[in-house]
Amino acid sequence: MADLSVSLCGINLKNPVIGASGTVGFGREFDEIYDISVLGGLSTKGLTLEPRPGNAVPRIAESRGVILNAVGLQNPGVESFIEHDLAWLQGKGIAVIANVAGSTLEDYEKICARLDGLVDMVELNISCPNVRCGGMALGIRPENVKEVTRLSKGALKRTPLMVKLSPNVESIAVNARAAEEGGADCLSLINTLTGMAVDIERRRPVLANNTGGVSGAGVKPIAVRMVYEVAHAVSLPVVGMGGITCAEDALEFIMAGATAVQVGTANFTDAMAMPKIIEGLNAWCDRHGVERLADLRDTLTLN
Amino acid sequence: MKEVLATVLANAPIAEGVYSMTFSAGTPMPVRAGQFVNLGVGDGAHLLRRPIAICKAEGENITVCYQLKGEGTRLLSRLPVGGKVSVLLPLGNGFFVREEEKKIALVGGGVGIFPMISVLREYVPKGKEIYSYIGFRNKNAVCCLDGLEKSTALTVVTDDGSYGKKMNAVQAFATDMDRVKPDVVLSCGPVPMLRALKEVMQGTGIPCYVSLEERMGCGIGACLVCVCNKTDGAHARVCKDGPVFNIEEVIL
Repeated sequence: MADLSVSLCGINLKNPVIGASGTVGFGREFDEIYDISVLGGLSTKGLTLEPRPGNAVPRIAESRGVILNAVGLQNPGVESFIEHDLAWLQGKGIAVIANVAGSTLEDYEKICARLDGLVDMVELNISCPNVRCGGMALGIRPENVKEVTRLSKGALKRTPLMVKLSPNVESIAVNARAAEEGGADCLSLINTLTGMAVDIERRRPVLANNTGGVSGAGVKPIAVRMVYEVAHAVSLPVVGMGGITCAEDALEFIMAGATAVQVGTANFTDAMAMPKIIEGLNAWCDRHGVERLADLRDTLTLN
Repeated sequence: MKEVLATVLANAPIAEGVYSMTFSAGTPMPVRAGQFVNLGVGDGAHLLRRPIAICKAEGENITVCYQLKGEGTRLLSRLPVGGKVSVLLPLGNGFFVREEEKKIALVGGGVGIFPMISVLREYVPKGKEIYSYIGFRNKNAVCCLDGLEKSTALTVVTDDGSYGKKMNAVQAFATDMDRVKPDVVLSCGPVPMLRALKEVMQGTGIPCYVSLEERMGCGIGACLVCVCNKTDGAHARVCKDGPVFNIEEVIL
């Protein structure tokens, strides 16, 4: 039995596996299938100040080895989360990470102030590619990344700030440094890659939104490369994600420099994906005589 | 709600482009009429499960019927007897018929006929009178008659008149509605059919429930992918709040 615990910005996770935002809601549905207290943490569905209805359907499409989604930030609003879901989720004894999004800089400041001291961490979604007036612009340019990070951090007196980076940028390492300069406590990456799937019979994009975020097994090599680059460009802890389906995938990210990982699309393919990954990490460590999983972080040697 | 690695007991075509698969969930499953399963394609390339209505549930054995639509369903159709399939079940709210509703009308079209069979299996033994109006594209698509014949009265029609009268299921029901006077109407089928049914039901005062279909992500209500528009302006999750909705409460 290996020690799978990791420390992220002073928060102790019993293992490095975190449910990725948008794929696990606020945890209740997956808890009907397994006790989610086995997880290291959960990043909530992206929260906004006001409830949002999201995009038209279809909101999801499939391509080989990946999916595309354009949910458009449907969520009940931060107040509903605080009132109805937060205490329940905290009762699960896992790290509660509130993923937040906004249309303006002020939105980010306000929602961070509202959540300060209430959750274990706030994850800034500045890269959701689906809301025309919102996230994308803030996540692309390094100066905007720095500014939104600085304002959000200013509103968080007691809660660490994780900034989720978009891969749809000129240099993710440059944006990582911008977030670091803005005062981020840690970084998570990658958010989805922007893509399109076409229904050739109708000669139209499958998604009502035309484009959507690509995720799933097929994006993993891109994500691992970016995690490696970012982990070596900043001195902040990095949470890696993108196409993780099994323990071995998670280990690639950890060896490339990630302190913890998030699992998203795999939850759709296999509802038990996260508990299986946790078990798999333990089994791998035992097989390899590794006593502390954290010792595997950043152990990659380049050729 | 459980994820199981089920064993395929049967998987064969029953009509043009339509397969019936029976699998053992390994443990008895309490299933209500109108609920569905989410089947893993299991090849590593198709990451989304395929949501498919339950036709029949007997102890641990579940039967679903599915239309070959694309690569995913084609791969499912090649699963051999004895093969394994990852199944998340039972999902959704299902149809619920009240004690005082004695006469049920079923209006099913295309692949929407399969959940109707689950209603017949649950409610015929409970003494309900069930009048079924079932529409197929043509005679090659006709299937599951043995299950449908459990109805008190069964009307099968086709779009081209190659089996039964040339009309659709809603037309067949509409011409019979005043005579049968159902206490409740349950339906599943393509959206244009459900729209036509909504028009027929308008002002009748008869409750009508429809089972909707939408592209799904998780299938359990977490990802907010498969929403439908409600008349009160809200979004409902087809997988968790549905798939069965009061026809007056959804915008079709």
